[in-house]
Amino acid sequence: MKHVLVTHADEPLGRRIIKRLFYDANVTSIFALGDGPAPHTFDRFLSGATPRLSYARVDLAKHRPMNDLFHSTRVRDAEIDTAIFVPRHGAPASPSDPLVAGLSERTAEARLLLQQCLESQTIRNLVALGSAFVYRLPPGNANRLHEDSELDLDPDVSPEIRSWIDCDMIFHGEVHNDRLRVALLRLPTVVASGGYVYLNPFMGERAGWRVRSLGYDPICALVSDKDVARATQAAVHSTVSGIYNVAGIEVVPLSVLAGWTGRHSVSLPGVLLSALDRAARLLGREAVVPSLERLRYGFTLDTRRAEQELGFHPAHRVGLARAGDGTLRLETAGI
Amino acid sequence: MTTSDWHPHARGNENPALGRDPFAEEVSIDPYLERLATLRQSEAPELRKQVESDSRPRPDWAQRTVKKPPAARSRRARTPTVGEVVIPEPSGWVDRWLGEDVRRRLETLGYMVEGETPYDRFGFSPDVARNAFPWFQALYRHYFRVRSEGHEHLPAEGAAVIAGNHAGLLPFDAAMGVLDILQHTDPPRLARAIVDRWAGSLPWINIFYARVGQVVGTRENFADLLDDEQLVMVFPEGMDGIRKTITQRYRLQHFHVGFVEQALRAQVPIIPVAFVGSDDQTPILYNVKPLAKRLGLPVAPITPTFPWLGPLGLLPYPVAYKIVYGEPLNFHQRFGPESANDSRLVRYLANQVRRSVQLLLDRNRS
Repeated sequence: MKHVLVTHADEPLGRRIIKRLFYDANVTSIFALGDGPAPHTFDRFLSGATPRLSYARVDLAKHRPMNDLFHSTRVRDAEIDTAIFVPRHGAPASPSDPLVAGLSERTAEARLLLQQCLESQTIRNLVALGSAFVYRLPPGNANRLHEDSELDLDPDVSPEIRSWIDCDMIFHGEVHNDRLRVALLRLPTVVASGGYVYLNPFMGERAGWRVRSLGYDPICALVSDKDVARATQAAVHSTVSGIYNVAGIEVVPLSVLAGWTGRHSVSLPGVLLSALDRAARLLGREAVVPSLERLRYGFTLDTRRAEQELGFHPAHRVGLARAGDGTLRLETAGI
Repeated sequence: MTTSDWHPHARGNENPALGRDPFAEEVSIDPYLERLATLRQSEAPELRKQVESDSRPRPDWAQRTVKKPPAARSRRARTPTVGEVVIPEPSGWVDRWLGEDVRRRLETLGYMVEGETPYDRFGFSPDVARNAFPWFQALYRHYFRVRSEGHEHLPAEGAAVIAGNHAGLLPFDAAMGVLDILQHTDPPRLARAIVDRWAGSLPWINIFYARVGQVVGTRENFADLLDDEQLVMVFPEGMDGIRKTITQRYRLQHFHVGFVEQALRAQVPIIPVAFVGSDDQTPILYNVKPLAKRLGLPVAPITPTFPWLGPLGLLPYPVAYKIVYGEPLNFHQRFGPESANDSRLVRYLANQVRRSVQLLLDRNRS
């Protein structure tokens, strides 16, 4: 029986994972952490005399609040044995937030959670969700990558990708820890019903115009948010440490994915994109493109290790479906 | 002596295209196996005694069963045979020109895709391939007038590596090979041609290659295709093949060995194939290497028509193609997956494939 802590439970992926774990008979209690107030979808989980879910609001990137929380009676009494690091994937509170101790907010959160897990007397398992956009991409419209493929350690990589790589390496460094079992799940573009897309550096959170590299249309591997929750659940109950690629069956070119999710794109030559990017950085603005390489080369993930060691097989498909109002939009459905 | 009057069984009569074979002193004995036997003889006597006293049944080295990878990875539906496919009535002159058999074969391309979206894991799109097919079929039938033989060596199912010669600046040999295999296998099979990484970095070209089923040659891609029980077409000469000048026509260049490693690891046969005609489609008179290096191109050719006619000068001449598939080389029946780590063996086997392809070329050139 597991007592689980989930970070960023107020964001879409966190909510999906909480829902999955709530109906898992082998999970006794869930301690959810989030930046904001408890989502309304948790109301039914939080009701009752002794709810299995408890929710706490905390700034995960700040050392003091995290320290206070993990040393509080509330957390001690919860006897948490498994922590799930769901990274921040929604829009940040304000894009111009300063870095925390020189690190991005996401990296600071990963570092603090790991530190608390290592110091905790009860936590023995850590499941971390990461991004598959950490890999160095070889030339090609679609290349197969496995867990041992090279990471992109290029110093010029965009801050967002850098933060994913930093998180990845923070958890990777503890994979062989004897006291703490660490399972790191690398996710491609996550798709949720209604045309929502997460973790893709090109897609961002909001609908609108995006730039693409002229002459390139990389393939994007997709995974349903429900499958992410299933993979997380499998990692919680497994006894193995390691890094696992988690992906669904479907893939689509970036232009198609952008069109399906209401993000119109305009193709520009690579030279112009680089110049725009440099100009934006000089002006202290956000990068125009997450990485020119990622706008050119696509990847799909070899998920054999997750299939064999975690027993994870994708059970949801991603495709266009006609919504109730007659519009076509990206949906996920069980196989 | 020219390449054409070379005979493989004439002792001391070396194929000028291949150069001296380092293993040719004793043609009847496989020198590598002989060396292995010598090594076994020199093993510690105690160890040998232990092995000899072991009464457990031993697998026959030559006929041992091959352990397949643990997970059956392919989620694709079974490809139907040509007779099983139902197609609509022809809707235009293109359909009528293609013919019913070809249209049935094109219909089966949809079975390559696993999920709900119309793309496979390497970006192949059946729709794009079907739209591109008539153009290449016109080249196949009327421009290159392709003839082919040896289709009985192509497996109806399961993975295999098809290794052939490469020439002619633009990869029409690969395109003709893929079309030929699609039209001479039942159920129809789409050979996945491995392309150089450089091609994967070219704008628009990288998209087109991926959508019609070609795959960039990384180890992971290669292994995944074989694991998915697909036919993988490789050109082990790589870029050296397309750089060949007119004086090197039909003389195979150095073979890269990665395809043998992958075939051994996946325990699949290698089918040699000769593309007769590709060396004549764009004869390179001279390769301006300094210019190629400066421009970051694999080759800077001067041909009878390029650069005099501009980009049009790169188009191939209407030479007749002949594609010949050789007997499968079943190295996997003698060497296990662990042999892929033996660089000397892998090099030796790659040379064997090279000799087989050269033989096919020599026999069919006339």
